[in-house]
Amino acid sequence: MNNALQLTNVSKSFGKAKIIQNLNLDIKKNERHAIIGPNGAGKSTLFHLISGHHKLTSGKITLYGKEINNLEPHEINRKGLARSFQVTNIFPKMSVYENIRCGMLWSMGLKYSIIKIVNRNQELNKKTNSLLEEINLLHCAHIPAGLLSYADQRALEIGITIAGGADTLMLDEPTAGMSNSESERAVKLIKQVSENKTLVIVEHDMGVVFDLADRISVLVYGEIIATDTPNNIRINKAVQEAYLGTEDH
Amino acid sequence: MVSIFKSFSTWIIIAIIAAALPIVFDSSFALTLLSKMGVLIIFTVAYNMLLGQGGMLSFGHAIYFGLAGYASIHILNGIGEETLPYFPTVLFPFIGAIVGLFFGSIVGYVSTRRAGTAFAMISLGFCEMVTAMTLIFVIFFNGEDGIQTDRMVGPTPFGITFGPQIEIYYLILFWCLVAVALMYIITKTPFGRMSNAVRENPERAAFIGYSVRRVRWQAFALSSMFAGAAGSLHALNYEHIGFESVSIIQSGAVLFMAFIGGAGHFLGPIVGAIGLTYLDSTLADVTEAWLLYLGLTFSGIVMFAPGGLAGLIVMHGPIARTDKNLLISLIKPYLLAIGSVITGLIGLIGIIEMLYFRSLISKGEGEIIIFWREFNANGILSWLLFIGLILIGIFLSKKTFPMAKESWDNAITVVKTEISNE
Repeated sequence: MNNALQLTNVSKSFGKAKIIQNLNLDIKKNERHAIIGPNGAGKSTLFHLISGHHKLTSGKITLYGKEINNLEPHEINRKGLARSFQVTNIFPKMSVYENIRCGMLWSMGLKYSIIKIVNRNQELNKKTNSLLEEINLLHCAHIPAGLLSYADQRALEIGITIAGGADTLMLDEPTAGMSNSESERAVKLIKQVSENKTLVIVEHDMGVVFDLADRISVLVYGEIIATDTPNNIRINKAVQEAYLGTEDH
Repeated sequence: MVSIFKSFSTWIIIAIIAAALPIVFDSSFALTLLSKMGVLIIFTVAYNMLLGQGGMLSFGHAIYFGLAGYASIHILNGIGEETLPYFPTVLFPFIGAIVGLFFGSIVGYVSTRRAGTAFAMISLGFCEMVTAMTLIFVIFFNGEDGIQTDRMVGPTPFGITFGPQIEIYYLILFWCLVAVALMYIITKTPFGRMSNAVRENPERAAFIGYSVRRVRWQAFALSSMFAGAAGSLHALNYEHIGFESVSIIQSGAVLFMAFIGGAGHFLGPIVGAIGLTYLDSTLADVTEAWLLYLGLTFSGIVMFAPGGLAGLIVMHGPIARTDKNLLISLIKPYLLAIGSVITGLIGLIGIIEMLYFRSLISKGEGEIIIFWREFNANGILSWLLFIGLILIGIFLSKKTFPMAKESWDNAITVVKTEISNE
């Protein structure tokens, strides 16, 4: 099985508005795959469909050959797919440490236990600390997550996403709203955490996209008009007309 | 604030103090009050598993408290009439817990599909439904009269009959400590942590592998279970249960206690349960307007301190940790602001008391005691004095509140820069 994710004839309508139409997309195992496209192309909707946030109107999505389009978000997550959000989506009043630790609970098999004390679980706390170190937030572990700077919150969001050890990661505009230096740091972090993992990323910053991606898919009005390597996408006529030509990048 | 529960010795100290209370306060009034506090602490902390820990606003949590009470009374009566086998009185909270868990699981399964407004409305609906049933199924609930019982049934090991109030107090105290400790431990488990996570951000919680509905349902069922245990003790304490114990009155009371004490913190509901039970028992004799003051307090907390009393204290934690002097610098602007509010409140209370007095007492008499001084409710001077105090209070508040807020903003800015500089 070479494909981590496979989307077959996926369509999604909200009422009469067709947001995604007969979309086919294969994400190979362990590749870094970027999805680009103009605003309103349906990139976030596509993410919501894959992660189970929205239900498909028609079509099929498989993760490692197993159909996931009828599952609830938490069930899809348990199958090894984790995602971040375009708008920062953390637990703002809980400490940074707790944010990460909560992200690990399920994968550690702790489920809904009411008898195990989380503070006493040494493996859990060791793993939490090492992940905090990896995303460079160990120094502010005990601060409420909502008090972090924007860039740190985004880093925390990536941390929560990878905490469960999922091997397919989906990041929705991870560098949106960041300064150049913050963005560079974020890209470095993303490269590091997606090592030997499948990464699907939606991103507006073309610099980031061409830096990160092994392959790029271009989504325009709910359809994928091209999937190719960064260099081929750059010279693709259809892409230039439909997307790159219309905006300055 | 919560961390003080971490050490076992803290629990022992609390237990010893609570056990010694009846020696210090030995009147029957005090003993009844203390027993009531114990029951309501269990109930309020249980309720807060929903409101504070799980972020679910229920207007009907007395159902599980009250139904457990009814079940306990029927079983006590059954034992008394020897239609039921003997069951030790000490273990009655288990009966309540099972009843609470049973009904909580059913209602929770239905109502936790949705959170927010829908959840609150469903809880209110169930509460009205059960209250109505108490008047319809007379054979079980006995309508508005409720049911009586005699808690002195069966054998009396070590001479403990549970007749005297002091024995009931120690029974309640024991279960109160056990229940609160268990509920505290639950906040430290994976379920407890995820309950907070679901409260904060259900969408995120789903994407880290947890079924939001399952977490809420479990919180609901556990909360109902502890509420049921409290209900059993309530029934034992009063040897009577009435329809108001399942009604919106009791549901609202527990919401007030949890919220005023501070739903966001484990200690908050305990503070609320102790404080409001005390005020309810003492102020109710002093002033007719007690419920009005309670309502005003609640509104004030909702508007100005949504974290409750505990929240007000805890929000200064980061400042205290950053720099003690920063915290000390807040004291003066705070005292000024509190002083202005109190000035206005004294005026407001004076007016309210005189209005109540005039509506209740025949017109001829005017002497009324407000704040230990005699005033003439018919004299223009008293009215002018209290209205004046209100105006002075408002005037001072307008000056002192911006000052207090500015000091707070400054302090929190310092804290934030400290954090980002680390």
